[in-house]
Amino acid sequence: MRYIFNFPDIGEGLEEGTILEWYVTKGQTVKAGQALCNMETDKVVTDIPSPKTGTIVATFGKVGEIALVGKPLVEIEIEGVFGAEAVAVAKEEVKAPLTEPIDEGGAGVVGTMELAGSNAILAASDEGADKKEVEAKPVKKALATPLARAMARDLNIDINQIKGSGPSGRVTKEDIQNYKPAKTTGSGVQHESYKQPANADAVTYEPLTQIRKAIAKNMINSKQSAAHMTLFEEVEISELMRIRDRYKKSYADKNSKLTYLPFIVKATVNALKKHRQLNSQLDMENDRMIFKNYYNIAIAVDTPEGLVVPVIRDADKLSLFEIAQKISELSDKARDRKLTIEDMKDGTFTLTNYGSIGGIFATPVINYPQAGILGIGRLLKKPIVKEDQIIVGNVLSLSLAVDHRIVDGGEASRFINSIMEYLSDPVLMMME
Amino acid sequence: MEYDVLIIGAGPAGYVAAIRAGQVGLKVAVIEKMYVGGMCLNWGCIPTKALLESAKNFKKIKQFEEFGIDGIDADKLSFNWNKAKARSSKITDKLTSGVRYLLKKNGVEIITGTARIAADKSVYVDDQKISAKNVIIATGSKPKVMDESLKNAPIVEIENLFSLESIPENIVVTGNHVSTAEIAQFFRLIDKNVTMVANSAYFMVGLDEHLITYITKKLKSENVDLIINDTPGKFENGELIIADRRIKCDLIVNCNSRKAILPESETPLELTERGFIKTSDNFETNIKGVYAIGDVAGKSFVAHVASAQGIHVINTIKGIESTFDGQIYPINMYTVPEIAQVGMTEQEVKATGLEYKVSEFPLSANGKAMIEGNTEGYIRMLSDIKYGQVLGVQIIAANATDMIAEAAVLMATEGTIYDVAQTIHAHPTVSEIYMEVGFEAIDKAIHK
Repeated sequence: MRYIFNFPDIGEGLEEGTILEWYVTKGQTVKAGQALCNMETDKVVTDIPSPKTGTIVATFGKVGEIALVGKPLVEIEIEGVFGAEAVAVAKEEVKAPLTEPIDEGGAGVVGTMELAGSNAILAASDEGADKKEVEAKPVKKALATPLARAMARDLNIDINQIKGSGPSGRVTKEDIQNYKPAKTTGSGVQHESYKQPANADAVTYEPLTQIRKAIAKNMINSKQSAAHMTLFEEVEISELMRIRDRYKKSYADKNSKLTYLPFIVKATVNALKKHRQLNSQLDMENDRMIFKNYYNIAIAVDTPEGLVVPVIRDADKLSLFEIAQKISELSDKARDRKLTIEDMKDGTFTLTNYGSIGGIFATPVINYPQAGILGIGRLLKKPIVKEDQIIVGNVLSLSLAVDHRIVDGGEASRFINSIMEYLSDPVLMMME
Repeated sequence: MEYDVLIIGAGPAGYVAAIRAGQVGLKVAVIEKMYVGGMCLNWGCIPTKALLESAKNFKKIKQFEEFGIDGIDADKLSFNWNKAKARSSKITDKLTSGVRYLLKKNGVEIITGTARIAADKSVYVDDQKISAKNVIIATGSKPKVMDESLKNAPIVEIENLFSLESIPENIVVTGNHVSTAEIAQFFRLIDKNVTMVANSAYFMVGLDEHLITYITKKLKSENVDLIINDTPGKFENGELIIADRRIKCDLIVNCNSRKAILPESETPLELTERGFIKTSDNFETNIKGVYAIGDVAGKSFVAHVASAQGIHVINTIKGIESTFDGQIYPINMYTVPEIAQVGMTEQEVKATGLEYKVSEFPLSANGKAMIEGNTEGYIRMLSDIKYGQVLGVQIIAANATDMIAEAAVLMATEGTIYDVAQTIHAHPTVSEIYMEVGFEAIDKAIHK
């Protein structure tokens, strides 16, 4: 049978990508999972794997062309599947999309690809809303007037959800105007439309970039899905400063930069090992907790296009030097927009280092569905009391936001205490 | 015996409703005083257009030399009124017998006589009482009679035009409407002296001002004496006196505004201010189960809308889901060149406050129009800026009345400028002007 593979949403709500390279040509056989092409989006550069084993019948789009999510990418002839079996395969495609992670990394976190059939909807993360969308029965393409289609596109309405009042149930302008969308988990927010100011020069309109759309979607989803609770702490890190100063040069000699961040990554991983609630995820659908036995620390990176959050994979298995190396590698890639899906997916806990720019405390937004995020404020000299003496201390402020559904207040406090302990006593951190 | 539906009047509203009723299995009879097919088939749409066709050919044949046809001596040509009339009658006979056949085929009984609606919803036809569950009034309209002061003038009602043995030289056509201009131009095409008197400022109501300006200029350029917003005072010594003017007049053709032909009813029918039967959105009158469609309901005065109303009412009676918008229908003028319009006029679009665009494409840039020697005219499209919805289309072209159908379909299905531009139109055809005006609306026409 012939199988049309549509360009999937490779995560975070992107709508299009640029084809950088085709790895396959017409007539070539491919295996499921084998890379078909290399695709660049606003956020990442990634390979698109084949969902099926078979022979390439056609590829759609040339190198340099834009591929739209949901539109055909390749057509594959799957051998030995005929007739009723083919119908069954096609049906299965629609009913139960195959979930094929790009590699065997964690199930259902950022970047996992669900390679679906004709209605490929690939969740950026396995949040409930998206799952439902995948499972929803495919709707017959609505009969609609051209105007109604244009309006639905413009107003972001799924025209297939509307019951048409025109001849043969055709969706008309009036139906669109009368349509009131059912509340969805995604966005129940009332959006106030922007009123044009009298002076036309008073504002400048710019279309939303894909990355900004993705950020907006993820932020609102996190805020609406998780029960945010933030606690603040200050930790004196003079000892850590001394160690850093001592080894800074040797790192520089090895062409690496030793900042405080690698230490904080290390401290966080150590603390996560003791407090597994913070390295977990709530699976409401199946009434269970998912505790992760791997430690992938996501780091928020500020880029001119917007925030991206690449991941230090298996941070627990890396030396401090390797962590430092990884951080600078990911930051460079982020700024050059060279991050791949591999670099972005499967984070288990996130660090956001706004203090490098400014700011002491914050209430960071959790990188949902993770359980927590640690905000690192500016390092300041402050008066502190040590052995009843007021002395000058080097104080780092920390803001820990947790999903209060998963992490109780006590556990959050114990977790941040643990991080503070490591940061104030770096030798202890290295000993463990 | 009780009918499901009794229809009074067998014009384009009544006879179409009757056929539809028969089709959906209703027991139906239509009561007609005289003419099956009504005004449309007997002295309106069909016969007048047949006459116009003769007149158009009379004009066109004079230009045949240009097409390479020698031997036509313009001086020897004359218009044979009686032969043109006979041809028209032949068409009328064929069509009315066709309607009779269709009525019979669909089980519609034709009752000849004049109807009077009884208080209990039954209908008297010449003292015979017929009862029905539903009654549809489709009695039509006729032009308002001329003023008493013109009693001595040689007035002919349009329905009697066909009984004239000959046509005199000096013709006055009175009225404000599209059909008034058609009749005026008809007489001009057969070389009569024509004066058109529009007795109010409401000249060609319903047409886009752009088209009104065009037809006004056109008639004047053809030496039709056009008098707007004046009423003939009196008739004396073969002259019609209008204000300070005395106009030679051998015949006045009454194409005045139309008045409802109201059937007698024991329960008074509620009327509109203008004297038409007041109806609901579903064309029901103040009497439950009594409907009014077509001209008598005063909602529109064209045959095609009347027929659509008839189908809708029957569907409603039968319980078939049906909606009637009635906003989008072509208004046609069978002049030379023809003029057609569908949807909103520019004035109506303006009134909605929508941001809109006007796009035009001339026939002078169209190959088929050149081939046919009919390059006068253009297409004009009004579209909204936001979605490109086509809001109105106007065409001036030799066969504009047929061409407008494409716009009607486009608009009935809420089409946009993109749909019309992206539809491949055959070449060479005059219909290519649709594609061109679509491109013009999006950005720029190809051949302009």
